[in-house]
Amino acid sequence: MLEAKHLHKSYTLKEKNGWLSRRKQQIKAVNDLSLTIEKGEIIGLLGVNGAGKTTTIKMLSTLLAPTSGTISIDGINAVKQPELIKRRVNMIAGGERMLYWRLSARENLMYFGRLYGLNGNTLKQRCRALIDKVGLTEFADRPVERYSKGMKQRLQIARGLINDPDYLFLDEPTLGLDAPVARQLRVLVKSLAKEKNKGILLTSHYLEEVEELCDHVSIIEKGHLLLQGTPRRIIQTIVKDRSLIVVMKTLDKENWHWLKQETDKLGIHAQKKETNEGTRVDMKATFDMTSSFLALAQKRNLQLIRFDAKKPNLEDAIIRLTEVHD
Amino acid sequence: MWIAFSATFKRQLITMRRAYPWSFFIGHILDGVYITIFAYLSYHFIFQGQLNTQFVSYTGTSDYLSYVIMGGVFNSFAVSLLMIVSRMLINEMREGTLEALLLTPSSRLGYFLGAAIQGLMRSGIEWLAIICVGLFFGLNLVAAHLALLLPIMIVLCFALFAQALVLGGFMLAFRDTYITQNTLFVIMTLVSGVSFPPQFLPDWIQGLSLIMPLYYGLELMRSVMTHAAPSSDILYHLLSLSTLGILYFAIGLLFMKRMEKSVLEKHFG
Ligand SMILES: Nc1ncnc2c1ncn2[C@@H]1O[C@H](COP(=O)(O)OP(=O)(O)OP(=O)(O)O)[C@@H](O)[C@H]1O
Ligand SMILES: [Mg+2]
Repeated sequence: MLEAKHLHKSYTLKEKNGWLSRRKQQIKAVNDLSLTIEKGEIIGLLGVNGAGKTTTIKMLSTLLAPTSGTISIDGINAVKQPELIKRRVNMIAGGERMLYWRLSARENLMYFGRLYGLNGNTLKQRCRALIDKVGLTEFADRPVERYSKGMKQRLQIARGLINDPDYLFLDEPTLGLDAPVARQLRVLVKSLAKEKNKGILLTSHYLEEVEELCDHVSIIEKGHLLLQGTPRRIIQTIVKDRSLIVVMKTLDKENWHWLKQETDKLGIHAQKKETNEGTRVDMKATFDMTSSFLALAQKRNLQLIRFDAKKPNLEDAIIRLTEVHD
Repeated sequence: MWIAFSATFKRQLITMRRAYPWSFFIGHILDGVYITIFAYLSYHFIFQGQLNTQFVSYTGTSDYLSYVIMGGVFNSFAVSLLMIVSRMLINEMREGTLEALLLTPSSRLGYFLGAAIQGLMRSGIEWLAIICVGLFFGLNLVAAHLALLLPIMIVLCFALFAQALVLGGFMLAFRDTYITQNTLFVIMTLVSGVSFPPQFLPDWIQGLSLIMPLYYGLELMRSVMTHAAPSSDILYHLLSLSTLGILYFAIGLLFMKRMEKSVLEKHFG
């Protein structure tokens, strides 16, 4: 288990004010953040730009020392024994960095593998297996500078797995990938957690991805934890409104008045709008109104052309959450 | 340490074979050749073979051309080795691989040594090329104290390696390679007795030669390769060079460690 407790990180920024004088400024990037990752679990770390996600990941992967707080990974203190921790974790960031462009995929993996103390046939086999896994077999001996963005990103995933880490931190891993590649990546991430029993921390601005993959989500703002829970619970607690949109060929005045009265009784807020498709009724309520509305429609035999019940998603939750805090 | 050493050595070898830095290579050779030709021309056409008597008393030789050509040979060797080692980490930073490297539990010393030993292959070729050119322009090699040649070379390489660590630390601190390295190289070439003995310089500048491995290296190499000198002088200089190397080494390792941390703290992205 990875346990981070009361993490703080401040950066010191020196700003020029005047010709030679400089003013020191402290930026609290992470402020009293605690989180745990179990093996086999995928945790999502969400927050707007500058919330402190990358900083948190860099602390967990030993690149940055926390200003205060503790990180322990399977009982080892990460701040005191970073050398031991480095063998058990790895980090993958989105974008095209963290690879040697002059080297081929195989040479990159061989180099990093050696730095982790692997050698001989073990190393060769692992490199081959990883190259296969990320689908770069054909291009394995071509220099990385001639790769496309997606290929570089896939190679980065392989690099992140070269030491077979127990915990893997992914900082916006699907940034700039096209849909099929991003999807392959999600499948891979899921299997790493569920089949290989790795603990995974994921940050992403694509909320569907987080909703699909993560067992638990932590939402942070200005380095501080706002909310923690399963994606479903977060959505339930934050987004109270549900909406239902129906379109009917016609809806006469009398039926509309009746519908309005009935929905009011149920606590549904309904609005009518004429569109070229037909008459559209937008309904909002704090509960799932599908069945109640269908019952009403049947009573008056209303002919529906379209019926859209929109389920709230994590995106709505985040938007709502940030609205509240602004 | 061995692991990081051999891994980095191999990596650098592949990189060199794939994209040989011809411009650096030729640049370094030309630097040495320019010093040689410049000395040759000024000796024959400006001084007309006349030497300042002070020169003879400072250097113990009247063979000016050999003196200068040796200076050019070892100056470009030193510049080449210093550049190869000192730019390693800042290059990783610029290419975006620094974090991936620091994520691994590998020895930084092994990493630098791997780069240095591989770099010696390159610097060594340059060194030989300049010596060959020098032979045409009046470099007289003699085989005095030949047994000392190898130990001197090893100690000199170690001291230059250690100096490169300190230089690399400054590069990370200033986020700059060009100005930082060239400031050092200008001073180094001036005070280390490359084309004239440092005794010609004002005292306060002359003192700087004492912290330049190249200065001791040149004294030693000239005594061993061009004219015989008493072996007690050789031992004294060899000892000074070793001490200086160890000093640079200790400072360089600590400074590098600090700068590495500070770069991670201050580097956005
Ligand atoms: N090296 C640094 N020096 C000073 N301030 C920094 C540094 N790195 C990050 N910050 C600041 O710390 C805060 C958190 O940054 P961080 O990169 O962790 O955010 P993030 O959640 O990853 O954002 P994004 O979604 O844009 O990637 C920001 O206000 C940022 O400006
Ligand atoms: Mg970030």
